Amino acid sequence: MGATNEEQAEALMRVKVEEVGKGLHPSEVVVQIQTAEGDPERLVVDRRSIVDGTIEVGYPIRKNNGYYLIELPRETIGGSWRIWVLKDAVVGEPLEGVA
Amino acid sequence: MILTDREIQIAIERELIKIDPRPTEKAFSSTSVDLTLDPNITRFKPPRGGVETVLDPNHVDFSPENSLADLTELFEIPSEGWPLPSKTLFLGWTREYVDLKTDARLAARVEGKSSLARLGLGIHVTAPTIHSGFNGRIRLELVNHGNLPIKLRPGMRICQLIFEVTLGTPERGYKGQFSGQSAPPPKSKPGP
Repeated sequence: MGATNEEQAEALMRVKVEEVGKGLHPSEVVVQIQTAEGDPERLVVDRRSIVDGTIEVGYPIRKNNGYYLIELPRETIGGSWRIWVLKDAVVGEPLEGVA
Repeated sequence: MILTDREIQIAIERELIKIDPRPTEKAFSSTSVDLTLDPNITRFKPPRGGVETVLDPNHVDFSPENSLADLTELFEIPSEGWPLPSKTLFLGWTREYVDLKTDARLAARVEGKSSLARLGLGIHVTAPTIHSGFNGRIRLELVNHGNLPIKLRPGMRICQLIFEVTLGTPERGYKGQFSGQSAPPPKSKPGP
């Protein structure tokens, strides 16, 4: 089974989101994330997963010239799991060798 | 490998899995845990006579959430129950909030319960996987495939979660996977 601890959990990174609408269930909201390509991606998340305008995304998958490839906790409305975002859109503990 | 009831309990204790409210002992079987039905459910509004509505998921302006918000209405299942009609799609949720930690090396599948399946009740439409990092109530696509209405009650056991150990940690759950190295550039260059 997975090896995790509170220190590691606290270090997981988050991406900035903007609330743009209600979900179908009262606990859900639709949030929007600005992608590096310019087109925003929208997804439905639980309201309690939003902390200070961010949602948890784990660690970035890839880096490329100041951009991060991140994987979202749910599939976007457009069907994507992974999106490229500006490095500044991701908050949390900086990764060694990723800056 | 599928987690047994003991391993699920251990994962909950270690906060790799969060289920709120926490299931009682009776909710577990040897390799699954039952979740219950939230009272909120959406139904599609009846079509107007002479009006044909077609969903076009590949249209550039199509938004499932907006479309569903326009086409459906939310209502609460009363405590005395509500008969789920035959051959119609309804969207429901689990009452439980589920949080599957990103670095837990676990994934889950939401599946129906055989006792309800025999009556014709399906609870998802071909997308049962709960990926690590998911949190929230699980959406259910409820379809009564039978010929008779099935009475649903809030809080009834509606589905089961089966947890599986993944082979390794997904990239998003592994810190420092590319420390000191650059990844290959994406196929289409990111950025404006």
